[in-house]
Amino acid sequence: MAQWGRRLNEDAPSAAAAALAAAQRPTFSQHEGGARPSRELVIVAALIVVCLVALPWLNPGYRALSFAITTGVTAIVLYGMAIPFGQAGIMSLGYAGLMGFGAYTAAILSRDLGMNMWQAMPFSAVVAALFAGVFGLPSLRISGHHFAITTYVMCELLRITLTNGGKFTGAATGLDLLPIGMVAGINLDKLGNAYLLVVVFMLASMLVTYLISNSKYGRTLRSIRENEQLARSVGINTNMHKVGAFMLSGLFAGVGGDLQAYNFRHISPDLYGGATSLYFALMVMLGGPRTIFGPLAGAIIVTFLPEVMRIDPVDSRIAYGLALIAVIMLLPGGIIAVVERGYRSLHAAMSGARLRNKKR
Amino acid sequence: MVTFIQELVNSLSVASVIILMGIGVTLIFGLTGIINFAHGEFLMLGGIGVWALVSSGVGYVPAVLISVALVGLLGFLLERGLFQFTLLHPNNGFMASLGLSIVIQHVVIRIWNSFSKSIPEPLPGVWEIGEIRFIKMRVVVVAITALIVAITFFTISRSRYGLALRASLADRQTAALMGIPIRRYITVIFAYGSAIAGLGGALMIALFPITPFVGSEMIMLGFAVSLIAGLGNVAGVVGAGLILGLVNGLSGAYGMPEWTNAYTFGLMIVILIIRPQGLFGGTMGPAIE
Repeated sequence: MAQWGRRLNEDAPSAAAAALAAAQRPTFSQHEGGARPSRELVIVAALIVVCLVALPWLNPGYRALSFAITTGVTAIVLYGMAIPFGQAGIMSLGYAGLMGFGAYTAAILSRDLGMNMWQAMPFSAVVAALFAGVFGLPSLRISGHHFAITTYVMCELLRITLTNGGKFTGAATGLDLLPIGMVAGINLDKLGNAYLLVVVFMLASMLVTYLISNSKYGRTLRSIRENEQLARSVGINTNMHKVGAFMLSGLFAGVGGDLQAYNFRHISPDLYGGATSLYFALMVMLGGPRTIFGPLAGAIIVTFLPEVMRIDPVDSRIAYGLALIAVIMLLPGGIIAVVERGYRSLHAAMSGARLRNKKR
Repeated sequence: MVTFIQELVNSLSVASVIILMGIGVTLIFGLTGIINFAHGEFLMLGGIGVWALVSSGVGYVPAVLISVALVGLLGFLLERGLFQFTLLHPNNGFMASLGLSIVIQHVVIRIWNSFSKSIPEPLPGVWEIGEIRFIKMRVVVVAITALIVAITFFTISRSRYGLALRASLADRQTAALMGIPIRRYITVIFAYGSAIAGLGGALMIALFPITPFVGSEMIMLGFAVSLIAGLGNVAGVVGAGLILGLVNGLSGAYGMPEWTNAYTFGLMIVILIIRPQGLFGGTMGPAIE
């Protein structure tokens, strides 16, 4: 018992100290509203943009490039997820389902009304946002892991419905889509070009999430995370903002679903079940939900890790699971947070801040 | 009418396995706040263990005992070696359990294969009462489950250890301040819950074939019963398990079986929204970060 009590107490000051440190000197984290992006953030962001855009010219091969497209599409959804999860602190496991709404909307509009990817995109986004609101409604009554399981179950309900949807949803085999086609003389069906298209959308969603979390709205959402009752007592309509944050993130999921449908050219219910949602949650938490590069880092790691460790399929799954456990146990708070902490202590050591602190 | 009663009887054995799953989930989830996705793998391991022992010539009953003991031991080791470090961060425990679930599934596939496995019926034959047929093995499964439920229920509601456990389920911190060794309770409950899940699998393989993937299906039913009942409410799990067993059995017999899980999940969502504390009342679980 004594042991238990001690551990609880130990944790509290360190968490407070971490929060304080984050508030004092923002680097890669999404920080308090109104602050200008730090120099480090701009440099790292520029580096990431250059690396992502340069990838097709490095001849990575067909397989790596299609994995990169999957990663990019996933990252779009993850940046949406980072708004309610990272800012408002509500974990939903419904995002694969919302992506599914976007993808199926695109596929059905293309089949029945002959729309192309661009025409279907706003519809996908709006449909996914509406259902994101529906998926978020239980958060007004239940919280924490109860809510997470409820949204997981909603995803499964969607998967079952799509599987039994008959001709309309293509049942278990799913639906096929036409190629994206040409835009302004660029053939988007070439893998390299499709990849760049996804990268553009991914960077845009990263930027939007960054701007939102640095706005007044982001601050409002964080107040819900820190203390919902207090937020309500100062006049913040927490119910509206919770559902609002979910609907906002639904827009991302819808666009991601539309892009995914047209890049895969074939969608089926199993892509959008609870299991996929679990992987999304894994990615966001691995990377760090409150950091701006966390979702992207998580998507890259989780998608490419089994690829890199390709031994025998079964062996690689075992190694993957073990690596996952190791990363979660050793790097809590996400990989980006650890990198940032490392950078900060390095920076402090280089500038001699530590020495000065010791003298004082 | 006879078909209906027959279906009721049949669904009791399905309900039994779900209840055995739910008891472990409700106690572990309620006490530690960890959504342990690997809990379903304990059930799978219990079943596969019995299959491996029976196919190498061990009798069914000793196979069940050995298998349950091994799964309980595994639960103990995992709590000591992994989950005790995630108690302050249930989200990390949840993610570690996802990794664990992948590892356990694929280790089983690596050692054997991914095909479904079954054993010869340990207790063949039926009893007939009037027009209703009771398959003997199913009756045994229901009886064993009833015994386990009774033992668990009376331990929790009558003994001083049960009182301490209920206190810890309701409020972990206050209970700790009252001098209850929460850490030890968590370890014991984790091992016990794992063993019970293993027993569920060991009994299940006597009724249905089992694949290495059965765990991920059963774990959702485990969460469904424990949340429908109310977290930490063992008696409620029995009620909710019977309801879900009935839904399973009746939708298989009358409605469309491919929608079975949809009924279960729909029911769960509706109940959670109307009564967040569960149908029979429970805790909301320890607060999470």
